[in-house]
This record gives sequence, C-alpha cells and structure tokens, in this order.
Amino acid sequence: MANILEVKELSKKYPKKEVYAVDSISFDIGEGEIFALIGPNGAGKTTTIRMISTLIKASGGDALVCGNSIVNDADKVRKCITYLPDEAGAYKTMSGIKYLEFMAGLFAKDYDESQVFVERAKSICGLEERLNEKIGSYSRGMIRKLLLARAVMNAPKLAIMDEATSGLDVINALEIRKMIKNLAKEQNMAFLLSSHNMLEIEYVSDRVGIITSGKLITVGRIDELKERYSAQNLEEVFETVVRENNIKSEE
Amino acid sequence: MKFGNLLKKELSELFTKQAIISMVFTMAILIFMGQFVGTAMEETFNTSTINISNMDNTEFTKTVLNKIEEDESLTINYVDITSEDYAAELERLDIKNLVIIPEGYADSILVEKKPAMIKFVSALNLGGFMSSLDGVASSEMIGHIENASTNEILLQEYGISYEDIERIKSPATSVEYTTNNGKTAQIASSSMTGMLMMQSFIAPMVIFILLLMAAQMIMTAISTEKIDKTLETLLSTPVSRMSVLGAKMVAAVLAALANAGFMMIGFIFYMQGMLGSAMDQINTAVDTAGLAEIAGEMNVSSLGDAMVTLGVTLSPLSYVLFGLQLFFTIAIGLSAALILGAMATDIKSIQTLIMPIMIAVMLPWVVTMFTDVNSLPALFRTVLYLIPFTHTYMALNNLMNGEMLIFWAGFVYQIIFLLVCMYLAIKIFTTDKLFTMSFNIGKKNQNRKTLAKKA
Repeated sequence: MANILEVKELSKKYPKKEVYAVDSISFDIGEGEIFALIGPNGAGKTTTIRMISTLIKASGGDALVCGNSIVNDADKVRKCITYLPDEAGAYKTMSGIKYLEFMAGLFAKDYDESQVFVERAKSICGLEERLNEKIGSYSRGMIRKLLLARAVMNAPKLAIMDEATSGLDVINALEIRKMIKNLAKEQNMAFLLSSHNMLEIEYVSDRVGIITSGKLITVGRIDELKERYSAQNLEEVFETVVRENNIKSEE
Repeated sequence: MKFGNLLKKELSELFTKQAIISMVFTMAILIFMGQFVGTAMEETFNTSTINISNMDNTEFTKTVLNKIEEDESLTINYVDITSEDYAAELERLDIKNLVIIPEGYADSILVEKKPAMIKFVSALNLGGFMSSLDGVASSEMIGHIENASTNEILLQEYGISYEDIERIKSPATSVEYTTNNGKTAQIASSSMTGMLMMQSFIAPMVIFILLLMAAQMIMTAISTEKIDKTLETLLSTPVSRMSVLGAKMVAAVLAALANAGFMMIGFIFYMQGMLGSAMDQINTAVDTAGLAEIAGEMNVSSLGDAMVTLGVTLSPLSYVLFGLQLFFTIAIGLSAALILGAMATDIKSIQTLIMPIMIAVMLPWVVTMFTDVNSLPALFRTVLYLIPFTHTYMALNNLMNGEMLIFWAGFVYQIIFLLVCMYLAIKIFTTDKLFTMSFNIGKKNQNRKTLAKKA
C-alpha cells in the first residue's frame, strides 16, 4: 500500500509563543486508509491539519501529499486533498446546488467533470429537492451533509476532516461513518480524521495517532494500542497516554 | 475558469438584491433631490398668491392694493373674515397665511395722522423650508403695503408724482458683484453662498453614506467567510491565494465602480436639476420685464450665468476627476475593510472593527461641513489631511475653486494610501496572519482579569 501522506518531523511555532504548537511529529497514511488524529483540546490537532492542508506554513519539517511537499509544492498538494474544517459553514445566500457547482468548479478540469462531481455530491448528501433552497435555511445537520458531500465529490486522494460528524444526530452520524468507510474501501480514498468522539474513531479508523502538547505520543492500530496500554477501549488508551504525558511534562 | 468561478461567487455576494436596491435608491434620491430643489427654486421666482382681507375697504386702501397688483409677480387673493378667531378663520378659508388691513386703516393715516396697523397671521409651519416660502412672501406683502401707502400719502398730501417718489426713495441703484479666483460676476455673494452651501452639504453626505455602505459590505463578507470557515475551505482548494484575494478585490472594485457610477449619474442629474432651473430663470427674467425686477431684487436673475462665470460649476473633466477620486476613496475603504475584516473572530467584533473606518469617514465629513480645513490649527489640519477621505470631501470645492495643487496632492496621497492598503491586504492574505491574527481586546482584558483572580 503506497503512502498518500508522509509527515516528517513537522513542527509549528507561532510568533510570540514560547512552546511549539506542533513539535516534530511524524506519521504516514496509506491509500484507502482511515487515520485518526486524537488528542485533548489545544494538543495541536487542528494546527497539524492546517499545515497539511497548506493553510498555514510549517516552521520545520515537511509533509508529502501524493509525493508533493506542503512546503514547496502547496499548489500540487491542494489538487490531491479536500479539507472540511470543524464547525464549517457554507455561503448562506447560495442554494445548496449552486454551492456544489461553485466548489466543483474549483476542482474540475472542465465543465463536464464539474457536473460529474456535482451529481456524485447530490447522491451522497441525499438533500434532494432541498438543494435548490438557500443554505441559510438549512439545519446544522443538513449543512454538514452538504459539506461532507462537497469534501468527497471529487474523490480526492486524501480527505481531511476535522470533527466530521459534529452537530449531527446519531442516525446521521452513523450514515456519515458508513459513508467514510465505504469511500475508503471502494474508492481507495484516504482519510485523516480528527475527533473527540472515541466511539466514532474506534468504529471508523484503521489507525490512530494520539497527540498531546504538540507531540505525537503514539501511533498504531486500535487493537495494538489497547494491548500496548492494557486498555479495554480507545477511551482508556487515550486517558492513559494523556495522563502519562502530563506526568512526564510536570517532571 | 477558476478565477472566473471565484469572481462570479464574489460578485453574487456583493451584488445582492439589497445592494442593487441601495445603489439605485441612492441614485434616485439624488435625481429626486435635484429635481425637487430645482422646482422649489423655480417656485420662488414664480408668482406668489397672497391672502388679504381688506376690512378697511376705503378708496385709499383700494388704490394701494391696485398699485401693488400692477406688479404681475404678485397675485392677491381677497378673502373676508368674520371673526377675530384667526385660527378658525385660517382653517375655514383653508389658507396658511393672511394679511389683514383692519377697519380704520386709512383714517388712522390720513385723518388721525397716526401710524396704522396691519395684521399678519400665519399658521406654525412644520413642513420644512420650501413650504415656508408662501409665509415669507406674505410677510413681505406688509412691506409692499407700507411702501404703496407712503406713495399714496406723498401723492395725495404733497402732490409728488410716482416718478418723483421713486427717485426720492431710491436715488441710487446698487449693483452687487462677487469675485472668485480672479473672476467677477454681477451677482450678490449671498445668492451664490446659498446655492454652494446646499451643494457642499449634499455631495459629502452621499460620499459618507456610500463609503460606510461599501466598507460594511466587504467587511461583513470577509469576516463572515473567516468566522464560518468558508475561507479555510476555499483556501484549501486548488486555487492560489492571490486568485482568491484578486477575485475579492476585483469584485469589490467593480462594486465600488458601480456604486460610484450610480452616484455620479445621480449627482450629475442633481446638479443639472439645480443649475437647469437657475438657467431657465435667466431666460424668463430676460423675456419678462415684470419678472426681471423681482429677480433683480432677489439677486438671482443671473445665478446660473454667474456660477459659470465664477467657475463654480464642474467641467466634464472635473466630473471625471471627481469620479476617479471617488473610486480611489471607495477602493481605500474596501481595502481597509478587508484588512480589518480579516481580524474578526465573531459577528460582534465586526461592529467594533468597523469603528476606525467609521471615525475616519465621519470626522472629515463633519469638519468639512462646518468649516474650511485650511483654517484649522496646524495639528488638526495635519490629522485631517492624513485621513485619506478628507481629500474626497474637499475635492468638489477644490475643483470648483481651481485649487488644483491641493486637489492633485490629495489625489496622489490617496493613490499611495490605496497601494499601502493593498500591499497590507496581500501580506495578510498570503501569510499565516489570515488565520492567526485576531481582534480580541475584550478577551485579553478578560484573560488578564481571570489571571489576576487566580493570583
């Protein structure tokens, strides 16, 4: 399985801050793999994701997306990825279909391809007639479905999703999780997820990386991690890793 | 295709139905005001109807009123009143003003040799300046009655002819001249000042509204994108940041151009409405001998001509220059709003962030409305000159007065200011600052308080 993402000692230090927001982290994601980055608030998950999405510049290290450097080939990287930020919105004055057409136009080579993307998004989001209405009239769940469909409509090599199911009810969240698994399996799409929902991560992810205080403490398959930390579930693994790291930091 | 796609999206956000309605509405207001002011001015030249109740009804008062009626510009509407309840009488007769010549008027003057009394009744006017013109004309009628009465006394008691009376009363005729920038016109300066004041009040007011509207529009657009994280989504797509910024800027510039265009069309119509009526009056005054006298008294017979002579009208080139300056002004406002909007962290912060632009737009507007910037102390003058919008407020007067050095200095300063703003906007858009910088004075204070409590 070829690597879609290779993160190499990636670091980020914000000006006027003494500590690194992300401190030399390394991991990789293979084709069709679902990788989850989990950690407490302020651990550096969003900063890592933003660097890989080329939104902010790395202070050190690099990451290769489909072999393209986020430092030197940001334009090429953006052709391979889609990014869904946490609690993202959409243009309220646009209709759902116009939004999909607009976003498809940014990824597609020509009009025909953009139409293929739009049709795919329409079938994924399941909003049907509501797509003709203004996004401003959508519920939070509907917006999230629209954005998720947008994020996968062009079958990117790597879809980066920050809290993919936040704001969704149980049924919708389950649908999304199934959708992610199917896309990874059938379309060979890789996913980099970030979530606080351990149940979701345990259900959907192939591998997990736990980050705290900017450092990637551990990476592995969920069963491996459970065994490594003698835990019953991912929540216990998470708790143990974070506590151990806090004790080390205090020492 | 991608830039076009981005531009289309930005334009659809800026040219919303509400925005288009605002632009058309601004233009319509200007056109309406031009026509309205012009028509109202025209009315001041036209015949005024004065309500008179001649309760004296003697030969003397009849002769006096007949003499007044010889002036074609005045029409007398004779009414009868039956009581001294003037409020009720005005209501009954459905009139706003009334001149009453009481019984015994002629006797008082001719027999008792005492000054007689004339009553003038008018309803309190809350309908604005233009609707008060009738009242002014009626009150002036008292002067006419006094004048005609004097003439009749001189004729009847001293046998002096009307011609001699006129010569005695007006042995000299005054002719007023106004100068401006080495040019001279035969016109009373008070007439010119009135017209120019109205002009220098309306145009800056429209600039003020337009600037704030445009700044608010782009600031809301950019900050909403940041807050809703649609900007993050957009910048992670295969389009360059310069394309995203470029599309925003081009759309903002097009919006500014459309705004300025609509405003300029409205402004031209506004000026034509005002000047047109003044020009028409010259012809009327020349053709009609009766009106010429009245127009002469009001010092407005050559208002339009005088404006041209004194160079206080805008030439086509001046319109173009003013339009360009207006465009730069709006572009500065938009760039500054773009920079400030990028600092927004939530909807509330937008209201705070618009404040610097609001102050920069409002301060020179208020100052230029009440005084000449050049007459201010050096410190205030410098502060005002540093605000780029000041030069736009002063532009019309500078162009009219031929103060081209000051105009061009302001023009060049605005271009430099715009380039700096655009450079800063590009800097913010192409670095991490777009996502890391924020406006959080309130939050910093909160954090300090929390830390102090913990300590």
